[in-house]
Amino acid sequence: MKFLIDDVTVYFPYDYIYPEQYEYMVELKRALDARGHCLLEMPTGTGKTVALLSLISSYALARPSPPLKLLYCTRTVHEMEKTLAELRLLHSHLPPTHRSLALGLSSRKNLCVNPIALSSASRDSVDSACRRLTASWVRAAAAEQPPGAVPTCPFFEAYDRAASSGPDAVLLPPGVYTLGDLRALGREKGWCPYFLARQMIRYANVVVYSYQYLLDPKVAGIISREMQRECVVVFDEAHNIDNVCIEALSVSVRRQTLDGATRNLHRMAQEIDRFKATDASRLRAEYNRLVEGLAQRGNLALTDAWLANPALPDDILKEAVPGNIRRAEHFLSVLRRLVQYLKGRLQTENVETERPVDFVASVSSQAGIDQKMLRFCYDRLHSLMLTLEITDTDEFLHIQTICDFATLVGTYMQGFSIIIEPFDERMPHIPDPVLQLSCHDASLAIKPVFDRFQSVIITSGTLSPIDLYPRLLNFNPVISRSFTMSLTRDCICPMVLTRGSDQLPVSTKFDMRSDPGVVRNYGRLLLEMVAAVPDGIVCFFVSYSYMDGIVNSWNEMGILQDVMQHKLVFIETQDVVETTLALDNYRRACDCGRGAVFFSVARGKVAEGIDFDRHYGRLVIMFGVPFQYTLSRILIARLEYLRNTFQIKEGDFLTFDALRQAAQCVGRVIRSKADYGMMIFADKRYSRHDKRSKLPGWILSHLRDAHLNLSTDMALHIAREFLRRMAQPYDKAGTGGRKTLLSQEDLEKMGEGVMDMF
Amino acid sequence: MTQDVHGFTQLSHDLVTYVLYLCVKIFPGLQPMMPGHKFSKDGSKQALLNLTQDSEKGGGYIFEFDNFSNRNVCRDFVGKVLGKFQALMSSKQNEQPVPEKPAAAIHGEQLSTTEMEHRMKLLREDSELQKLHKQFVIGGVLTESEFWATRKSLLDDDAQRTSKQQAGFKSAMLADVRPLTDGRTNKVTFSLTPEIIHQIFAEKPAVHRAFLNFVPSKMTEKDFWTKYCRAEYLHRTKNSVAAAAEAANDEELAVFLKNDDILANEARRKIRRVDPTLDMEADLGDDYIHLPDHGLPQDGSKETADAENDIARRTLSQDLNRHAAVVLEGRALDVELGDTRTVAEALARSKRAVSFAETSDEKTNQERLKRVSRMTEIEDLQAPYSLPYAPLCIKDPREYFDLQQANALKAFGDTDAGTKPIDCSLSTEEAYVHLMEQISEMKVRGLNNPVVQPEAALKVLNGLNQYLSSTKYHLGKNPQESVLDRLPNRTKDELMHHWTSIQELLRHFWSSYPITTAYLYNKVLRLKDAMAQIYHKLQETKESVQSDFRHQVSRLVQPMLQALDAAFAHYDTEQQKRYNKSGNKPNGFVQ
Repeated sequence: MKFLIDDVTVYFPYDYIYPEQYEYMVELKRALDARGHCLLEMPTGTGKTVALLSLISSYALARPSPPLKLLYCTRTVHEMEKTLAELRLLHSHLPPTHRSLALGLSSRKNLCVNPIALSSASRDSVDSACRRLTASWVRAAAAEQPPGAVPTCPFFEAYDRAASSGPDAVLLPPGVYTLGDLRALGREKGWCPYFLARQMIRYANVVVYSYQYLLDPKVAGIISREMQRECVVVFDEAHNIDNVCIEALSVSVRRQTLDGATRNLHRMAQEIDRFKATDASRLRAEYNRLVEGLAQRGNLALTDAWLANPALPDDILKEAVPGNIRRAEHFLSVLRRLVQYLKGRLQTENVETERPVDFVASVSSQAGIDQKMLRFCYDRLHSLMLTLEITDTDEFLHIQTICDFATLVGTYMQGFSIIIEPFDERMPHIPDPVLQLSCHDASLAIKPVFDRFQSVIITSGTLSPIDLYPRLLNFNPVISRSFTMSLTRDCICPMVLTRGSDQLPVSTKFDMRSDPGVVRNYGRLLLEMVAAVPDGIVCFFVSYSYMDGIVNSWNEMGILQDVMQHKLVFIETQDVVETTLALDNYRRACDCGRGAVFFSVARGKVAEGIDFDRHYGRLVIMFGVPFQYTLSRILIARLEYLRNTFQIKEGDFLTFDALRQAAQCVGRVIRSKADYGMMIFADKRYSRHDKRSKLPGWILSHLRDAHLNLSTDMALHIAREFLRRMAQPYDKAGTGGRKTLLSQEDLEKMGEGVMDMF
Repeated sequence: MTQDVHGFTQLSHDLVTYVLYLCVKIFPGLQPMMPGHKFSKDGSKQALLNLTQDSEKGGGYIFEFDNFSNRNVCRDFVGKVLGKFQALMSSKQNEQPVPEKPAAAIHGEQLSTTEMEHRMKLLREDSELQKLHKQFVIGGVLTESEFWATRKSLLDDDAQRTSKQQAGFKSAMLADVRPLTDGRTNKVTFSLTPEIIHQIFAEKPAVHRAFLNFVPSKMTEKDFWTKYCRAEYLHRTKNSVAAAAEAANDEELAVFLKNDDILANEARRKIRRVDPTLDMEADLGDDYIHLPDHGLPQDGSKETADAENDIARRTLSQDLNRHAAVVLEGRALDVELGDTRTVAEALARSKRAVSFAETSDEKTNQERLKRVSRMTEIEDLQAPYSLPYAPLCIKDPREYFDLQQANALKAFGDTDAGTKPIDCSLSTEEAYVHLMEQISEMKVRGLNNPVVQPEAALKVLNGLNQYLSSTKYHLGKNPQESVLDRLPNRTKDELMHHWTSIQELLRHFWSSYPITTAYLYNKVLRLKDAMAQIYHKLQETKESVQSDFRHQVSRLVQPMLQALDAAFAHYDTEQQKRYNKSGNKPNGFVQ
């Protein structure tokens, strides 16, 4: 359908539209008009993504100059695929003259088609395998020697030849390209899909990639550097964006890291000796370059680009590298001293917390390394590795981590703390010393994004309380709004279960969670539900260890065997491959009517981005309140920081954080208004007002008072009633005066109505 | 007359035949009794099959089998045979004794038991069909094969459906064998059944491979399973040190404790065909934050695997996932569980077949893409998909026929139902004026002599009343109501029966033309006689019904008669032609 919002013709890929989608678009358009940032909360299951894509694409078509580019950031690669699929649907409804180019971008691991590089297991080894074939000095060597003597990548060579005749030669025809499409295209044309995609993001109208490509300075520095100001940046599913931001600037150092770094330094020393003997001029040339400053970062060959400096671009000083680390061997000895110092710090018996200022002072006095040297560590290392022509970068990750740490500690004085723990709190008998540099200020990492781009849109199903996010991220949205959901029928049914069938309270509170009575009551709840609910059921637990524990107990008690009589059981594990296969099987079990239960973890990978819509999830049970591990030092330090700078109380933040996770977990069951699902919050603490009120409005509005304090058998009764009600036919367009589906005429009428009012 | 036939327990295969023999031999002789059979549940102590001859008297045979699979074969067969006799018996109850096994004998057609079986079942399920069958086949008008020839689709259709159902894996985790201790000694007992072993093979390919490699060349089957149980026990007690020590000493034992490399390979292969919107592995490749030691440590992410000893840390979660995946895949094994070796080999074969089938994945890729795009669409924002539909199939031709009849009747009723068309288009005013005229006329002429004879008037009035009441009664109802419903039940049934019979006969009649063989000629003759009979019967029915319904019945019968007439006419002309032809021949038939 096609309709007007003010003066913009919006192309929407469906025949009908939800009223909240329309409102969402209206708000979004205002934000784009104002060239400001906005914060929009809209319930899951109301087609947020398609509304967003549709409006921004249409807006870009209506205002062709300056060309507006959409940078769409997703949490995960599979969400990227979903977004691209929606985009493809939208594209088929755009007028044919206005076709634009949209593509997804990921790492080499996900885009490479070279069988040699692809045979490596991890991302880093694929990266380094690629470098071994495509680094500028490797290619130079290959050009000098007879063909075949030095292996290169045929895909990259072909792409490079094609690209050398100008960017138009490799320009992709308009369309939507998923990672799979890029790979297929690469195979077909014999071009390297990764570098092709890297090149194409400059010309593309829509780029879909991961958060890190904008937020993590290391990645953003090489990928997103050239994006112009006329960009609309969208962070979808952004309820966790503060965590992503602080993670981007946090590093931890373990004993293994230090040992690895020592080995790396040893190897580099050997390389330097070798170069001194054969090609001393290279080292001298590097020295001269460093005198002039680190300006070389701009004109490196495409393939030599390495992860950039971990510090934010504005914080990097445009000055020459300090004299005392310009010479390669001097720099190595500085690193050696640093590693030695860190080793010494790790041998502590007690937990230590320090501010970066104190830490830098102590490094300076004990190891003789001043702040400026620390700050240049990362770039200096990068330069040295290029000079030494090191291609197997995956071997050098340890020293990279150390330099990363040094640069961050040397750059930031505020919003960070350094925590040294000799052992894990939960396993005090196993020594596992770790030194963590943890960032507390989420606004640091996202600040350059807000400054650089004209509109940043932060949206998710759960952004409650919506006034907290601008404070955490330190920005001023022009629009900040939370939408409710207009439902044709009550297709979601949230319940709070506080008691088991024996009327004893259930909870995952620390003192109660291992009580066999609670474990049994949780098990009985699941057992009753698997017998009553068709197709898929998803269970979320508060942590991996808790899930392992309770599943083992259920196994011992025989509850698991009874559950298996009704449905197949799949479990999320720490192994991503296994979890992916389990999910795939789970879906197949739901498809074929066998029915299945999926056990997952709140804050886990599955909870982040997998949808359990339609028959893939008719019921989701949240066992417990997913609080963070409150004894964690990092969390304590962060809470302290939040209290001091934003006056946010610890308890409030913890509850907010737990409830947004819970809401996110249960929100995955519903996808559209034709869909339906139940949500059980199984913990007595959810019945308390201070907890419950933190849930997003669209859940709260359906949480009836009668459903606030249920026992297992009452919940079962409600579930049965609900399922029976949902099975009845209904009128999709909504009844009475409340319309829940709008057609093109409805929208036109609405538009006229607005005209009349003015 | 209970006879316990113990002592046959060893004759496994012969016994099956024997039971069948008994069934066939004994039951037909005991006509009034309704034989039944009972059996013990799978997995109970004894495999029993109890054949009762008479539920009241309790006479019967109890068979004890040495295993369940044989028992099940027997049970299934006995069930079928009994079903067949029941059908026969029920038809015998209201019929004169007819030759047993009517059709096969007459036409000399060789029918397999299953085929026979199947036809019996169809007859049993469909009483109408059974009636027809009785009338024509047993009455000798049609042969068995002729009767079924027109119902081939029925036979084929069902043949597919009745293929032997394959049982999948049990949902219970059998492979998770739990040891039993007797409490007094330190002995631990594991018990394995063929079912469990099959599941172990399916879920743990490494054990399966080891079995194929080691047994019987390297060790006996018993040794193999002892080793396996030992490894399981070590795993269960979570004694990794002891496990490592044992594995170091005993390389066969180590096989069970190591990571399953086949599974790992399989996972790598499968992950490539996973839906991209689910693929979390791709994430791992993209996530720059998850460089070693970057970001904040997450809950549980500290559990790094011990790379040094490759004793697998198999967790319950992995077992559960694996089990569920295997159950979902289903079992494609057509051998009897029992001999471990054959099971293992059959499993290996089926696996090869699967991996071979998987190689063509271009199409699956396409399908996956289509699925993804389907998944992304929001279903209620657009017109519903045209769902795949089944073509209309008139299940009961009777309803269709009724409807047509009702419509025809209505059409008749308007034109020549016997009543004069009354012009009702007068307005009230006109009617009033007319009435007044009549009255005034009456006043002038007076009622000196009656207009009509009172008897005649009464008769007419009664007739009219009756007609009116009946039509009112009929017409008030919805037109979909069958005309037949108004007829007395007996007449209705008769008509229905005639109708189906005529259909059947006509179908055969018309399909016999052109007559090319003597056989067909005979058939047509037989058919014609049967039709003539029905023709008479129809006439009789028509005459016998009450006057009320005669009209409707005759209307119902009309098309049947017409159809029959057409058939007769055709027959006569054909006959004429034939006669002429043969008459023209100089050396014609002797007449």
